[in-house]
Amino acid sequence: MSALMEARDLAVHFRAHRAVARAVDGVSFEWQPGEILGVVGESGCGKSTLARALLGLVPPTTGSVARDGAAVEGKAALRDLRRRVQMIFQDPYQTLNPRQRVATIVAEPLRVQGVNGADHEARVRRAMEDVGLEPERFLDRYPHQLSGGQRQRVAIAAALVLEPEGLICDEPVSMLDVSVRAQILQVLIELRQRRNLALLFITHDLSLAWSLCDRLAVMYLGRIVEQGSAVDVIEHPQHPYTQALVAAVPVPTAGARIREPLSGELPDSTNVPSGCRFHPRCPRRFEPCDRVDPPLLATTGPGQLAACLLHDPALAPDAVA
Amino acid sequence: MSALLEIRDLHVNHGDRPIVDGVDLTLEPGEALGLAGESGCGKTTTALALMKLLPASFNQSGTMTLRPPGVEEPINVERRTEAGMQVVRWRHVSLVFQGAMNSLDPVKRVDHQLAEAITLHERAASAGDVRARIGELLTTVGLTPGLGRSYPHQLSGGQRQRVMIALALACRPSLVIADEPTTALDVVMQAQILELLERLREQLGLALILISHDLGVLAETCDRIAVMYAGRIVETGPVREVFDAPQHPYTKRLLDSLPVIGGSRVLAPPIPGGPPDPSDLPQGCRFRPRCPYAAEVCLQDPPLREVRPAQAAACHFAPWDEWPPVTEAAVEGAAG
Repeated sequence: MSALMEARDLAVHFRAHRAVARAVDGVSFEWQPGEILGVVGESGCGKSTLARALLGLVPPTTGSVARDGAAVEGKAALRDLRRRVQMIFQDPYQTLNPRQRVATIVAEPLRVQGVNGADHEARVRRAMEDVGLEPERFLDRYPHQLSGGQRQRVAIAAALVLEPEGLICDEPVSMLDVSVRAQILQVLIELRQRRNLALLFITHDLSLAWSLCDRLAVMYLGRIVEQGSAVDVIEHPQHPYTQALVAAVPVPTAGARIREPLSGELPDSTNVPSGCRFHPRCPRRFEPCDRVDPPLLATTGPGQLAACLLHDPALAPDAVA
Repeated sequence: MSALLEIRDLHVNHGDRPIVDGVDLTLEPGEALGLAGESGCGKTTTALALMKLLPASFNQSGTMTLRPPGVEEPINVERRTEAGMQVVRWRHVSLVFQGAMNSLDPVKRVDHQLAEAITLHERAASAGDVRARIGELLTTVGLTPGLGRSYPHQLSGGQRQRVMIALALACRPSLVIADEPTTALDVVMQAQILELLERLREQLGLALILISHDLGVLAETCDRIAVMYAGRIVETGPVREVFDAPQHPYTKRLLDSLPVIGGSRVLAPPIPGGPPDPSDLPQGCRFRPRCPYAAEVCLQDPPLREVRPAQAAACHFAPWDEWPPVTEAAVEGAAG
């Protein structure tokens, strides 16, 4: 079985004044059909740029994107890809045209993709039902007549109307209230169960990623620094950065204390440190970390990879490995 | 010892819409109180009412009494005029609000902005004193004094939020209200800011009202928590008790619908629907239309009453010793 989508050594660099921002800097991964793949990391780590590059919304500097094992090249392939893989964004207030009714918004992708007009109504209704909005009550409304959660449901319905195989979700619930957030997550989980819809879930919320995703990729400064099953990566993180991220998550358990938060801040992507890009902030760095850029290495966790020299048997000091 | 802050029967109306509807709060010196709830529940309005910063279209009533240490006469905030409030704001109570880091003046250096805040209330301060105080404030919030020479755009989001906290501390208040101070920040920076707030409480004996929709943030930082829903406090108590044994169905279901690392990955069914519109509140308990346990009696307004030691809930059925399993709750107007 070939991957639904695949990134091969993908890089996206932007020119910023006289510097070059390496937003995505050599990322390879596979996203399988029906899989919920989480991409986690801090703001500025490149996770949103990565999502846009997958759909060709920003051109890759180097590397390529493949769907069903074939590289996506040329306009026709891109058009076909965007029909099979859709995207929703963080802010449903900005992505819905305020002057269009819900019925028009949800049908828009059908028109863009040139789907036979006779099918539109039935497909729009089905998409609305899939996201838990009764067509009779909502199709004639304008976005300002909807709550935040309802707007995000409309955005999901518009993404679903083409019956895609994959949905890229860029922080889809981070602007919503807690109770509404849980409702939207339930909609997404049900879509995966009913339609085998694969989700690429971009989030900075590690608790959410842990409960929702099958697999996780942790990004730092444009690179994947750790990947593996969501449960393993969060419960037994192998990269010092993932360990620090997990330790920083506030938990609603009384008496929980913050354990030594990571010092410093994410460096600027125009100024990526030498060697391991995490080494200036790493509490466990050792001698060659400032010179050797570690690839993703096998760890003790099955299928769990970490880009950290602690997992290089030839270099790691025994005491810390 | 008398309370630092006592709010009694606070009501805030916007036209005929009750935004805050009978809130009582007490805060001891040095205590950290968490105010939890979703957008529109009235938590920010409560804070702004206390600072008397609400626009003229809002009407507020109720008493708010401040007893800052070293001040003999209690301050009756509700009776203060705008001129009178200017002496209270920042000097006794200061506010760090959401996205505040974007409200620094972009064309003034950080030290200049801090100097303005200091001299506002200490007009007699000499230039040397002000400079020393700026250095001290920046150090207190974990910044190097040299950063004072920067303009806001030269600082990161986390550094700007620290400058905002330094501004809030400039006049040595005894109470800081922080409204979603970490919402715009990443988890690592959030942990750093929360740690800073905790350290400030220890070092300066500061009392804190922390407003957040993130229950995890409140659990780590606060002593006590008050959960608001549709303008009212529906549950309050020590953080540990409220999280371990919530006594209001809203608190219970909110906690159950949040993933907690190491807990269950399968989440409880979400709370259906959305919070009510203040101009169209349900009869009786305001959570009733979304509550799986609602019954006839819930058409009567439940008072907030002590149901376990130090823990109060506004639910007719509290105390809850065990929670019946929730089947799919049928609610009018499902999608929130």
